[in-house]
Parts: sequence; structure tokens; C-alpha cells
Amino acid sequence: MSETPTYIGFEEYSEHVPVSIPSAVQQATNRFVSGRAARVAELPQWEELRQIGSDIRLHTIENMDVYLAQLEEKVIAAGGHVHWAETAEDANRIVLQLAKEHNVKTAVKSKSMATEEIGLNHALEHAGIQAIETDLGEYIIQLAGTGPSHIIVPAVHLKKEEVAAIFSEKLDMNAPTDPIELARIAREVLREKFLTAEMGITGGNFLVAETGTLVMVTNEGNGRMCSTMPDLHVAVVGIDKVIPDWESLTVFLKLLARSATGQKLSTYTQFITGPRREEGEFGPKEFHLVLLDNARSNVLKDPIGREVFKCIRCGACANVCPVYKNVGGFAYGSFISGPIGAILSPQMLGTQAARELPYASTLCGACADVCPVKIPIPKLLLHLRRRVAQGDAFALPTISAPIHATATLASLALAQNWIYRLGAHLLPILNPFFRKNNWLSGLPYPISRWTKVRPLPPFSASFRNWWKNVPLKKRNLRDD
Amino acid sequence: MTKAQLFITCLGDQFYTSTLQNMTRILERLGVELVFPPEQTCCGQPLYNNGFEDKTRPVALNFMRAFAKSDAPIIGPSGSCVSMVKHHYPSLFKEGTSEHALAVDIASRIYEFTEYLVNGLKVTDVGAVYPHKVTYHATCHYLREMGLKKEAKTLLNSVKGLEFISLKEEETCCGFGGSFSVTFPEVSRVMMENKVNDIIASGADTVVMCEPGCLVNIAGGLYKAGSKIRAMHIVDLLATKESS
Amino acid sequence: MTNSILENIRRSLGRTTQISSPQGTLLSLRPTIYEPRLPESADAEIARFLDEIKKLSGVGQKLSPTDIDSALKKLIEDQNIRKATVWETPHLTQLGIAEILNSLGVDLVSPNASKHDMALCDLGITEADYLLPETGTLVLRSSTEKPRAVSLLPRVHLAIVRPEMLRADMHQVFEEAKASNYLVFITGPSRTADIELTVTLGVHGPKNLYVWMMDK
Repeated sequence: MSETPTYIGFEEYSEHVPVSIPSAVQQATNRFVSGRAARVAELPQWEELRQIGSDIRLHTIENMDVYLAQLEEKVIAAGGHVHWAETAEDANRIVLQLAKEHNVKTAVKSKSMATEEIGLNHALEHAGIQAIETDLGEYIIQLAGTGPSHIIVPAVHLKKEEVAAIFSEKLDMNAPTDPIELARIAREVLREKFLTAEMGITGGNFLVAETGTLVMVTNEGNGRMCSTMPDLHVAVVGIDKVIPDWESLTVFLKLLARSATGQKLSTYTQFITGPRREEGEFGPKEFHLVLLDNARSNVLKDPIGREVFKCIRCGACANVCPVYKNVGGFAYGSFISGPIGAILSPQMLGTQAARELPYASTLCGACADVCPVKIPIPKLLLHLRRRVAQGDAFALPTISAPIHATATLASLALAQNWIYRLGAHLLPILNPFFRKNNWLSGLPYPISRWTKVRPLPPFSASFRNWWKNVPLKKRNLRDD
Repeated sequence: MTKAQLFITCLGDQFYTSTLQNMTRILERLGVELVFPPEQTCCGQPLYNNGFEDKTRPVALNFMRAFAKSDAPIIGPSGSCVSMVKHHYPSLFKEGTSEHALAVDIASRIYEFTEYLVNGLKVTDVGAVYPHKVTYHATCHYLREMGLKKEAKTLLNSVKGLEFISLKEEETCCGFGGSFSVTFPEVSRVMMENKVNDIIASGADTVVMCEPGCLVNIAGGLYKAGSKIRAMHIVDLLATKESS
Repeated sequence: MTNSILENIRRSLGRTTQISSPQGTLLSLRPTIYEPRLPESADAEIARFLDEIKKLSGVGQKLSPTDIDSALKKLIEDQNIRKATVWETPHLTQLGIAEILNSLGVDLVSPNASKHDMALCDLGITEADYLLPETGTLVLRSSTEKPRAVSLLPRVHLAIVRPEMLRADMHQVFEEAKASNYLVFITGPSRTADIELTVTLGVHGPKNLYVWMMDK
């Protein structure tokens, strides 16, 4: 039974990051970063592609209702079913209902962040249905009972010995530590499930409105299995995944794999339009698309914040983020981590629930440089900080009272020259008490939050005096 | 006679008097007549970056009024502070108001120090002599918000005797991030230590950058690590005339 | 067509009425990026395609129909093939694939057999509908004649293809095939790097991919 650990807050988590996490995460991010760089170098029109990708996504966001309506019409015309889920509960209810109608005992799942978002596995297991993750990384963390540490490789924080131990315990066997052997074991165990499961549950990378087509971008083949073997295929997809047409799709397929893993294309890209047409071709008898809203349509109200929906879930932002690389995915406390998580979670879950996330960044901007659809992540982080600090049309402020008071005092002091100058005069009083080797250390709270990590130079504001008192012609001399 | 106004920044003011003196000297030697508006305090970036846009306004107004007294360009030794004024001040005020017009004016004539030297005065050699192994930390706002990708290196290139060594992770954030360093001190610590280790591994005896905030962070980190590597603001390196 | 979610979206976007056409131009109609890639010579395209297959750890080669027998014999020996399933398309029938396999002692399973029977096959032989040389991609449709499971369940996938299947880029393929009920792009054998980033082939899909480009 899988259960994601209780979220303990970004700062609290970041104070005690397990030792193995940063190096494991960085193994992945380094590989993806160099892969991405090589693939980007091959496409001289990369910057143009990014701009067009951004334009198409923005156009789609601003016309989301039109494209979703068209999508529904086309899916139905292709013989598929469309369900609209306003909340996570609605989505789970719909999937459970379908499972009940089809006497489902086992469901095989391919990787889907939307289903993690709504906690579908819990809901299914609660109803007595076995829901098995089939993407190797997701399968491992499901057995282990932990959450994902990285968007693309969720189990990267586990060493092969740990994976072998998990397999040995949960599968009642003596699992070897060789990753190739472990993958073979997963293949054998899961093959049986693919062939006997009554329902396949997947996510989707894109929904093409033009023809009602679900696009799945995968590498292992489990996505194909889940959407081909069982008689019932249910795809749970966020409404923000809709794109206008196949021409647009060419842009995103060129951007996605290169940005995510440094592949030109992922191993398997499927384009599914409705259920199978002939029994002999294999494929599901029934195709159900569950369109998930779950606060997305509310987020659309914010013309600045909604730019987050341009995201194509490549993970490139996380791969370059120095904060993410040093804390890993668990610190972000939700189904999506890294820089994109820091701007998506506070909007979907609300800034009360996710008020630390917009601040968990130095605003260095490395993410914005690599985002294939040019999401201005630092701009959105600032936008959400404003929401937390002072509130806006979408939420009341949620910043703590002490911080608010500090900001008020700071604003006062910095806006009045005489208060600032007074402070500058007073600060050097601290010097003799805390000075050692021309550095200040051990200062009291709140400056201790700095000095516990590294010392501060002595307070020595004397430029103004120098300017006032040292005549022009003497200023060029070396010693003053 | 070229005229310019000195923007000393709050961190420069508190910790780096000699850097500000050197900046004065370099510019005056280049024939710039300098003005120092004493009413300046801080650009307001710490408040703005924490989301307190409302509380930033009075600080910004104080800044703008201080520098509005002269129409000369404003020069500051900090990519992030200059960027704050240049890229964010206008958005603080409602369009059509006099404050907004003032912000647009101030934003149009504020420059970072290396930007002013290389792109404004078209100076790439200030006659500096620094025969040492020097590495460079590309600070985030200077690099990405201001888009200054080659100015610092152009100036370092002309320094006599300087041997330039690249950092493996030159463009990776040092973990300062303004108040980030006190909001998430442990994450800041790890990022700072990564940067310090990268600097030590480079084999350089000096690391130079264009940002007082990052300098406080990295210099302190190097000291804590027991390293003898000098952390300098580029202004101080460029002001060096004889070997030291 | 309306419901509460679409209504909420409309409200959020500031619209008071339902519209049936999108506002603003869809910029994807801009010609710059969508200039079709001009293919190089046929030989160059084939070479490029096979080179990409190799880079993906697949085995690609040019082949004459007269060499099919020996090539199949070698594949069966190399990969220890006991059971196989083949698309019953005109071209593969004409090449006599089923007969050759039979004569080599390989059990043939109908491509329309049950998934359980198909899962026992070691080898699945298909053609392709299109080929993309830039990425070494096989594009497959599905039908009773071309079942999906053949390229998915067995651990070895052999695709027997021809030069006329080559297309310059994705745009062309989409133009021709977007009305299909199912398309799959196959770019190399199945792979994962989920355990300590060690690349492993054949997780759920085929482990070995062979592509034979027929020269006649």
C-alpha cells in the first residue's frame, strides 16, 4: 500500500536533507543537462522553436474553452467517452464508477502526475482494486512507499542495493543488485499484470483538439501496454494539456524529449484517437478520457499566473535549479517539484498551503533560460511572493506577523535617509563584541541566521564621510 | 565633461567603503565628474524580492528623488541593484503619474559599473596590474537580468599579468539570493559551499565578481573554509596599479 | 457544448458568451519553422535512418529479398527464437516470411491470437507505415492486418521496411496520417534509466530492435 510521506515544510525539510539525496539527484540532473545541451546544439532554430512553443501555448490558454469543446466533440466522434472532473474527488469517483461497471479487480497504471495529484491509487485501493504502477521508477517507489524525488526518474534517490532489498521484501524473493536483472524481474512480474488487468489507466502529454487525439510520450513500453492490453483504457489528463492541432504538436515533440532527457524523441510516442476500430488490431474496446480541472480553471483567472500552464512537464527547470539539486523533490511537498512546482502548487493548492514555495528560490533565473516554452519562472515567483506578502485580487496575505513587522520597519528605515544614517552609525557598535580576525561572528538573532553559516565583514560605513571630508585632489591617493 | 552620479548601494555602504573609493578613483581618472547624492539609502530590492511591493514604493521614491536632482547617469557597482531600478521601478508606479514618469527617466539612465565602462565610456583597459591567477563568478542578476555576458571578462582581459582560469560552474548561483540566505540558511549554506569548493578547485588565488552581496557570501565562505583565496569586487581588482 | 468547467473557464478568461472559434491567430501557421525539411538523396536518407537506428542500440541493415532466408536464420540463432508472430500484410506474405520461419523450425502464432498467446512469442515481425530518418523512427498504424501487439509483446521486434516509406519529417507524416485511429512512433528498443541511471533495454517493450531496409 503506497502512501506519500507527510509534508513537513520546505524549510524544515531543507534543514535535514538526507545525505544521499543531493548526489543521487545530481547524477540525474547532470546527465539530463549535458544531454539537453547536445540536442539543443543540433537545432539551430531552437530559440525560434521556444518562442513559437510559447506563443502556441499562450494562445491555447486564452482559448482553452474553445479547444476543450472541440476536443470533446472529436473524441466522442471517434467512439471515445469524455468525462469532466471538477475536483479530485469527482475524478476518483468517475474512475471508480468505470471500474465498478467493468468488474475491475486489477488496474495497471502508466506514469501520470495527474493521477498522483488526485491520489487515485489510494481511492482505488480503498475500494479493493489493486492499482499497480508499471513505470519502473514509479513501481519501485510504490513498493517502497515513498514519493518521487525527480519528475522524470522518481526513484533516482535509491541505490540499486536498496531497490534489490525492496524487491526482495515485497516480492518475496532473493533479488540481485544488478539494475539490468532488477528490470528483468519487473518485466516478468508486470507482464502478467498487463495481460490480466481489466483496466489500463494512463495520463497524457498532449490532447490534440483537431482530431480528439491523446498523445503519450514514454520510454519503457508500459504506456503502450496500459493503453493496448486491457479492454478498458482510462486516461486522466489535466485540462491544460490541450493543444490546437497536429502542426502545433510537431513543435512540442521537438522541444519535449530534448529538454527532458536529451533524447531526440522518446522511445515510444503514441497517438490514440478513440478505442480500437477492429478487434483484430488489439487495443481497448472502450476509451475514456477524464478531463481534470481541480482548480486549474480558477488559476486561469490570473492573467500573470496562468502562464504556468504553458508547461509541458519536461523537468528541464529542475535539472538546472541549484536549490532543487541540493534538496531533491521531497522538499516541495506535492506531486510536482522543482521551479515549476514552486509556481504551480501555490496556485493550485493556494498560497496558504504552499506559502514557502515561492520563496524557496534565489531568483537566479537559470530555469527561465532552459524552459522550452519560455515560462518566466522568476517573474511568476515574484508575483506569488506578492500574493503571500501583501495579498492580491486572488488571495489574502499569508505572511507571518513577525516578517510583516520587519518589512514595515525596514521600509520606514530605508525610506528616511536620517533613520538609515542613524542605523549605519549605530551598527559599528556591535563590532568589538563580535570581531575576530577582521570578521564578525556569533551575532545575535536574527543576524545569527547569517553568521551561523559564514561570518559577516565588520560594519564600517565611512564612504559618506570620506566623500564629504577628503578634497577632490587628495582622493586619488592610495591610502586614506 | 562627462558627469555621473554615484550609487553606492546599502551593502557597499556598510561593508565596502574601499570598493566605493576605488570606484570613485577609477571613474575620476577616466575624466568623469562625479556627484554623490547623500539622500540615497537602498534601492529597496530586499523588500521587493520578498513581495512587499507596497513597502518598496517609499524606498524607491526616496531613491528616485535623490538621483533626480541631477540628470547625469547613475552608476552602481551591483548588477542586482541596478537591475532593480532599471527593470522594476517603473512597474511600481501607476502609468500616467508623475512618479511613474520619474521612474521611467531614472531607469533609462542607470548603469552597472562594468557596463558603463565598456559600453558607455568604451573603455576596456583601465591600466590595472594584477599578476595573479584569477577566476570569475558570474553573478545571477548581472548575467541574466542585466544580460552582461562579456563586460567583466573584457575588462579582466586587459589587466596586465592576469591569468584567467574558468570556474567549472561559473554561472551557478552562489546561494546568496538576498534574504534567501536567512530564510533558507541551510540551502544557502550548501550552495555557498559548492561555489567555494568550485573556486578552490580552480587553482586560482583570487575570485572576482560584480556584486557586493555575493561577495559578502563568498568571501565569508572562503574564510570559513580556511582558504587564503582573495575574494574581490572587480572594482578593487581594476583599481590595482602595482603588483601586490 | 457546455458544462460547469467550460463555464468557469470562460468566466476566468473574462468571456461572457460562448465562442466557437478561437480568438487571435494561431501562430503555428507561420511558415518559418514549418518549411518542410527537404530530403537529401534517397541513399543519404536511408544511410541516415540506419545510422540513427544504430545509435539507438538497434540493428539496422540493407537487405535484398534473396538474402532474407539467411538473415532470418541468423536472427533466429542469435536471439534463440522459438515462437514468432508476423503481420500478414501483402509485402510480408510476398516475401514468404511465414514459410521461411516454418522451415527454420519456428512456431508461428497468428497475429490475431489472444494476447496471452502473443506474449509467448519471442519475435514479432512487422513492416512500417512511415520512416523518419532524422530520428531513426518507425511509424506504425494499426489494424486487423497490422495488430499493435506484434511490435510490443515479443522481446525481439523485426521491422522489414522499404525506402518508399521514408518521409522527410514529422510534418509530412502527420499530414498523411493524422486521421488514423492509432499511430505509434517507435524510436529504438524499450529503455529505462530509473535504477541509478543505468540504461537498461527491454523493460516492458522489446529489448532488441532489428530494422531491415529492403533494397528492391
